[in-house]
Amino acid sequence: MLQFLGKRLLASIPVLWGVTTLVFLAIYLLPGDPAELILAESGGSAESIAYLRTQLGLDDPLYVQYGRFLLNTLRGDLGRSIFTNRPVLQTILEQLPSTIELALAAMLVAMALGTGLGILAALNHNSWLDSACMAIAVAGVSVPIFWSGLLLILLFSSTLHWLPATGQGGLRHLLMPAVVLGFASSGTIARLVRSSLLEVLYKEYITTARAKGLSERLILTHHALKNALIPVITVVGLQFSFLLGGAVVTETVFSRQGIGRLIVDAILWKDFPLVQGGVLLAAVTYTLVNLLVDISYAFADPRIRHDEL
Amino acid sequence: MKSIKSLKLITMTLILILAATACGPTSEPPTAVPTSVGEESPAAEVPALEGGKLIYGLTLAPSGIDPHVNASSELGIPLTSVYDTLVWQDLNGEFVPGLANSWEISDDGLTYTFHLRDDVVFHDGTPFNAQAVKFNFDRIADPATKSQKAVFMLGPYESTEIVDDYTVQVHLKEPYAPFLDSASQVYLGMASPTAVEKWGADYQLHQVGTGPFNMKEYIPKDHLTLVRNPDYNWAPSIFNHQGPAYLEEIEFRFFVEPATRALALEGGEADVMGEIPPHDAERLANNPAFTLLPVAIPGQSLQFFLNTEKTPTDDLRVRQAINYATDKEAIVKAIFKEYSPVAHGPLDAFTIGYNQGVVGMYEYDPAKAETLLEEAGWVDSDGDGIREKDGQPLKLEAYLMGWGYVPEVTQLLQAQLKAAGIEMESQVVAYPAALEAGREGKHNLIPFVLSSSDPDILRTFFHSSNADSGFNWSKVRDPRLDELLENGARTLDLSKRRELYAEAQQLIMAKALILPIRDYVNLNAASAKVKGLRYDLRGWFPWLYDVYLEQ
Repeated sequence: MLQFLGKRLLASIPVLWGVTTLVFLAIYLLPGDPAELILAESGGSAESIAYLRTQLGLDDPLYVQYGRFLLNTLRGDLGRSIFTNRPVLQTILEQLPSTIELALAAMLVAMALGTGLGILAALNHNSWLDSACMAIAVAGVSVPIFWSGLLLILLFSSTLHWLPATGQGGLRHLLMPAVVLGFASSGTIARLVRSSLLEVLYKEYITTARAKGLSERLILTHHALKNALIPVITVVGLQFSFLLGGAVVTETVFSRQGIGRLIVDAILWKDFPLVQGGVLLAAVTYTLVNLLVDISYAFADPRIRHDEL
Repeated sequence: MKSIKSLKLITMTLILILAATACGPTSEPPTAVPTSVGEESPAAEVPALEGGKLIYGLTLAPSGIDPHVNASSELGIPLTSVYDTLVWQDLNGEFVPGLANSWEISDDGLTYTFHLRDDVVFHDGTPFNAQAVKFNFDRIADPATKSQKAVFMLGPYESTEIVDDYTVQVHLKEPYAPFLDSASQVYLGMASPTAVEKWGADYQLHQVGTGPFNMKEYIPKDHLTLVRNPDYNWAPSIFNHQGPAYLEEIEFRFFVEPATRALALEGGEADVMGEIPPHDAERLANNPAFTLLPVAIPGQSLQFFLNTEKTPTDDLRVRQAINYATDKEAIVKAIFKEYSPVAHGPLDAFTIGYNQGVVGMYEYDPAKAETLLEEAGWVDSDGDGIREKDGQPLKLEAYLMGWGYVPEVTQLLQAQLKAAGIEMESQVVAYPAALEAGREGKHNLIPFVLSSSDPDILRTFFHSSNADSGFNWSKVRDPRLDELLENGARTLDLSKRRELYAEAQQLIMAKALILPIRDYVNLNAASAKVKGLRYDLRGWFPWLYDVYLEQ
């Protein structure tokens, strides 16, 4: 297991390097110039733009800027944001807890809703209940977050005054964003749980269990679900990165702080250091989540032994 | 002094014009002087009004908030209450004493002598004096500060000389008319030298000024809290009272999504909110629990730049035809409701130096547009509704930003131009890409709007030196216009300045370098319990010192 972990961690280094380099080039190629963006806010002259470019080090050739970025990153220094002049690492770490809180809460909603709908649909295969559950799942996948978010705000904040529309702090603020984001991700999980469970329910050991006279409930919880949920784990892992992405829109609609909004703003404003820092962090998170998923297989299915990989 | 009186007169006239043109049936008219809530000036001693916490909704999380360093126009909303400036500008455009009791300008316009108050201390106990002024201006001018706005507002700054403890002389390399206007803005606000040196690059989180409120806490992207400065005793005459502020605490929160702003106000999550969408404003105006405060923002009107270096807008007749073919009245009414006046020139009507002569230069006149286009050789020969010349259709390319109702305006504009036989293709692009399109001149039309309390802003958009890099997106290179704009920046006499800018505006419209759409009015709204709220001449920055909450 340890050897497996070591190999995987080593393998992630080129991935991280590749991702950051690609992003560095991509953001460089995007149209726009930070100095121009800053001065569009105050109406600067061509002369001011040139002055600011020099101050910000944007005049240096690409390889100098890239080298500076790489060296500093290796030293653990992600630099300072062009626009806020605050340390990138600190800026990201400040925003991180809020996004993790949202993603985890949404994940709970997605799993509860997704597995619930999936099980209900599978147990009532080909009935109207099955169709209803799958219709909800399709809605979850296809309804855009900004729309469902605004709708919930309209209902629960504006009309009923039950929940605050925007902001941070406590369960009351978390509820709507988590439900909106979780709902968007629950559809995929529901569909997968349904098909996986259906497949398992026709397996021979289920027939055996039934023949032994076990109750349907026991068969479901002890025999069917355990096996049906293995493929779901992978998807849940992948959904976590979807949630991080969906957090961008959710955070904007509900005016929450968070890493999603931070990076989107940084991209829009061509804040090179902040984008690079954010992407590096996202790549690290993604790699770690995938690693966790791989490890969790071993627990869910003892036949999978990482030592043999 | 005479010039200031005439300025007053013109501002008053403006108010009347605006009240006449922009008064809607369901709402208060936007006025050049911001509407104030709570008409009576509260007396100095009104203990019943004191205390309380105000929650103020900001529309976007400002990027960085050190006024000497950062360029955000939003940072001034909270920080105008944290910093004092050497001078203040009242709502008539007149400069009144602030941290400077008085000042003189040398005849050559190169030296400003400020006589400072001797009774002012920063929130951290540091005394305010000539050394502090020098420290602040030198900090802004220092390239290491990487100032993104303040350094340009200082203009041709050379140095600050300490004459004695409470007298400083600011020396400029050449005369710079907007200097006092700059000195009255929060970007040149006086920061505690002790605090700046102590915190270095992190000063923005620990700002210390001399204003009526102390900065207590700033959590980026979440909130910024100010608390009352109990020692404040040097309020400028623009305010209605003396001594400490009424409010105990002000919390600024960020509401980025336009659609949630009015909702947050109605849900009680904020007491004051800026940039309310016009359709929500109508609803709030009809609700007695809220006060709608439309505030005029001086500066550039919302306008499309017409590229003079790309066909077909390189032809004056086509640019004029676009102006005649546009029913601005209809566009403004449909999108900005009754709140924004129609714009007629490059400056909006609330700006010092505005030339009323531009009104009526291009009344909606489709027949005239048709004549001009035919003169220019554009005729619909194949009957498809779009004019052609030499086999080429009359097609315009527009690059749009996603903000400020630009896409909505463009949609209506597209239909109106089509009726005149002009096809317009438009694409909404990311902001940096739009700026790049403007710089590279890919567009026939590209919109922009920028607020400013000084007409010198025209230099940014119409001086030839900004045509290749910069924001001269009409790509106009006109020696006479350059001369007018350069002299405008150098001339201190207001009436002479006015003449220069009047001619410049006339010239810009005669050459049809732009298609003006609307004068900018910021729709603020407040809970009805908020009293005494006024905005400064720039329209963005609230004077929270006089604000109190009705119990």
